[in-house]
Amino acid sequence: MNTFSTRRARAAIVALAAGSLALTGCSSGGGKDSKDKSKSDKDAASQSTAVAFGTAAESTGPAPAVKDAKSGGTITVYQRDSFNHLDPAQMYVSDMKVLANLVFRGLTSFRQDDNGKQTVVGDLATDSGQMSDGGKTWKYTLKDGVKFDDGKPITSADIRHTIERTYAKFITDGPTYVQQWLSGKGTAYRKALPDGPYKGDHLPKTVLDTPDDKTIIFHFNEPQSQLPYALTMPGYSAVPDGAKDTQDKYDVAPVCTGPYKIASFKSGKSMKLVKNTNWDPKTDAMRHQYVDGFDITFNHQASDSTKRLEADQGEAKNAISFSNAVDPTLTKQVLDDPNASKRLVQGYQPYVWQMNMNMDRLKDKKIRDAITYALPNGQIVRVNGGSYGGEIAGGLLAPTVAGYEKGYDPYGKLSHPNGEPEKAKKLLQEAGKTGMKLVYAYSNTEARQKEAVVIVDALNKAGFDVQKKEVDSASWYEQMGKVDNGFDIYMTGWGQDWADASTVIPPSYDGTQIQDGSSNYSHINDPHVNSEIARISKLTDVTQATAEWVKLHKYIVEKVNPAAPVFYTKTLQLYGSNVGGTRYSSDISYMDPNTLFLKK
Amino acid sequence: MLQFLFRRTFGAVVTLILLSAFTFFVFFSVGDPAMMSCGKNCTADNIALIHQNLGLDKPLPTQYWDFLAGIFTGRDYSIGHCSAPCFGYSFATKQDVWSTLMDRLPTTASLALGGAIAFLVIGLGAGLLAAWKRGTVLDKAVTGVSMVLSSVQIYILGPIVLGLFVYSGVMESPKYVPFASSPAGWFMGLLLPWLVMATIFTAQYTRMSRSTMIEQLQEEHVRTAKAKGMPARYVFLRYAWRGSLIPIVTILGMDLGSLFGGAMITEFTFSLAGVGRLAINSVTTLDLPMVLGVLIFSAALILVFNIIVDATYAFIDPRVRLS
Repeated sequence: MNTFSTRRARAAIVALAAGSLALTGCSSGGGKDSKDKSKSDKDAASQSTAVAFGTAAESTGPAPAVKDAKSGGTITVYQRDSFNHLDPAQMYVSDMKVLANLVFRGLTSFRQDDNGKQTVVGDLATDSGQMSDGGKTWKYTLKDGVKFDDGKPITSADIRHTIERTYAKFITDGPTYVQQWLSGKGTAYRKALPDGPYKGDHLPKTVLDTPDDKTIIFHFNEPQSQLPYALTMPGYSAVPDGAKDTQDKYDVAPVCTGPYKIASFKSGKSMKLVKNTNWDPKTDAMRHQYVDGFDITFNHQASDSTKRLEADQGEAKNAISFSNAVDPTLTKQVLDDPNASKRLVQGYQPYVWQMNMNMDRLKDKKIRDAITYALPNGQIVRVNGGSYGGEIAGGLLAPTVAGYEKGYDPYGKLSHPNGEPEKAKKLLQEAGKTGMKLVYAYSNTEARQKEAVVIVDALNKAGFDVQKKEVDSASWYEQMGKVDNGFDIYMTGWGQDWADASTVIPPSYDGTQIQDGSSNYSHINDPHVNSEIARISKLTDVTQATAEWVKLHKYIVEKVNPAAPVFYTKTLQLYGSNVGGTRYSSDISYMDPNTLFLKK
Repeated sequence: MLQFLFRRTFGAVVTLILLSAFTFFVFFSVGDPAMMSCGKNCTADNIALIHQNLGLDKPLPTQYWDFLAGIFTGRDYSIGHCSAPCFGYSFATKQDVWSTLMDRLPTTASLALGGAIAFLVIGLGAGLLAAWKRGTVLDKAVTGVSMVLSSVQIYILGPIVLGLFVYSGVMESPKYVPFASSPAGWFMGLLLPWLVMATIFTAQYTRMSRSTMIEQLQEEHVRTAKAKGMPARYVFLRYAWRGSLIPIVTILGMDLGSLFGGAMITEFTFSLAGVGRLAINSVTTLDLPMVLGVLIFSAALILVFNIIVDATYAFIDPRVRLS
């Protein structure tokens, strides 16, 4: 997924990255000094192994008790941005994923053990899914006792409705994996059910079948090995079939299924979550209901939430943030504060920032290689918060993706964090393009502007004549997404939907998808890459597919080089001293909201 | 008077229409709001569908006319009927724009009123004192302090105050509590923002009331009053002060108009969800209905306050006659 795909999420990361060079004392060139306790790619191992499909036993609740957990109290949540959507089918970005985990449930979910190992387990369903017909058919059975917050039992009709309503015209923001697998690629799937289920039409039983109240069967034309992963997305959380699905209006008043329900929501101001009394812990293998509720207030900039949590006074003792990270300008202060530094959660985020090289304009690989060698990745990491905010990228797969190889660095970015201008100059000379004009676009946010200074300097040193073009951040992805965007190089961020390269490589590097608005920003259109994407996508064995994606990833980076790897993002979150059960969730990419409790 | 009000109201309405038209047409040169609602699927097909959902597929003049007509007659949307005054539904959150504005107004109004009372009382008082004691150490001290304070900005003073009082645990974080539910909570929740606003605005009022007071004290009618043997205090307060109020009322009207329309920086600094914060968020999310709603609402408040100020002149200064 492009978790940057809506501007709020992009802005969140920009905010995370915005800031300063204050961390130069913590890290140099992406390397680590002895005091540096930031996550490294060694730590990423638990986040990058292929996630196994869990059994019925692993899917059975209740979830194992959290050590020393107590019940009661309300957690305060400081958030910068309000939630744009409450209709789960419209939810995509990570801060919504934290909320969705507390209030919504789908057929499957990720469960994380105490060692950080993840498994896909049945959530509303009894297991992660029964595959047959070579991956073309998947069967799910609903657990007994699962209900909506009004007490109505969740049936297979509700799940069918949940899937079918994603075809309706008012659903435009959420994921489309399952719809495309069931009914056609791109936006063609909408033709299968143009009005969703709202005028009495349904998908044929040969596509989506509900033989009884408990059973849902998906029939695909092609093998789909990733379905259990896809169904973990908030976008496929259960929505009731009936009058309570108010279509467009559902976005402001949804029905909940998780341990908490929305008691009140004032967009842009506050939200209150209270216990959902119709949630039964015996049906849930990963969630708890330790606290009575969550009081969420919005409009807290990262600097404000960091200062409040660091000071740890009054209500801040019981506070967390779903998605505000420690403000990069305050990271060093927090790390040096003995009281605050023991109240941190950190982990890799799924995003890789890459410098796209427009292959319609930069056709010679030597030029693209020269740019890659010249880029000062270490300096760019420093601009983005140092080793607690990011890490030099050697490849285009994040440490959180299955198949990530530690130390993979074909362009020597780790050993030359400030770039290799001489090598770049030589390549440019060989290409006969010394002094070539390079149109470099960047958005007008603080972090991107600071990056631009070091990037332009490095590229000019390598023999390029860089022409800077500052673009308004509000229309950044719109402008970069145009096939004829008029730029040579531009940085974008991309994150997986789940820990599998199938949610990274096809959307970013499939040449058959090039069109305005496509996320293939470099316009790579390589026949080998295209055919391999088509082939690997059909493999049913996830482990085998992962090995093939790794090979293809290497081919893309080394043989084509459409985008220079720049940095992987990381997050650092602070919490109040009375909050217990804190841990990083590899699935959500933020603090896990399911295990939290108040100590007293 | 009636003629005056009619003329000014008509002028205000024309101004608002021109302002909204300008904003409406300029807005689309900034970016496409559909890009905010397409998730990862920002393909031409999906964008076209979102344009259709948001009514952006119609010609711009038609969209603008529908918007204007909706304010007076209400409009029907797929999400439901929006009664007049209908500013539409937010592109980003599907919330009714007018209800959102009304929901945010108490925060902003409380902030503006409390802040205004504080800076008026302190500012005018200090200014009068300085004018009364003109040339003394007290006058110089008040003038000096107000010069220093007028150069401070909310975004500098705000974080300092937060650090001293909130992050240190001395006071709770600023927040809006409805007056009806807890008058004490309302007062304590907004005390810090009021004090910061007062500190910064006070300087301006101190300097202005001092200088206009000194000016007034040199006027002929004041001299005449003194010559007639009226007590100095009476002349000071009854004659000079009244005359000095006109420029102060002018500035106050403008300040109140802007503050009621959203004290953006104050709300941002203290994490308060008022109209100003709504303006910032709606601009950054390309939320056209909300942008237009906030803009028209804020501009209308400024215009209304200007009319009130003009009308007030007649009461303060009998020489002014409205026609």
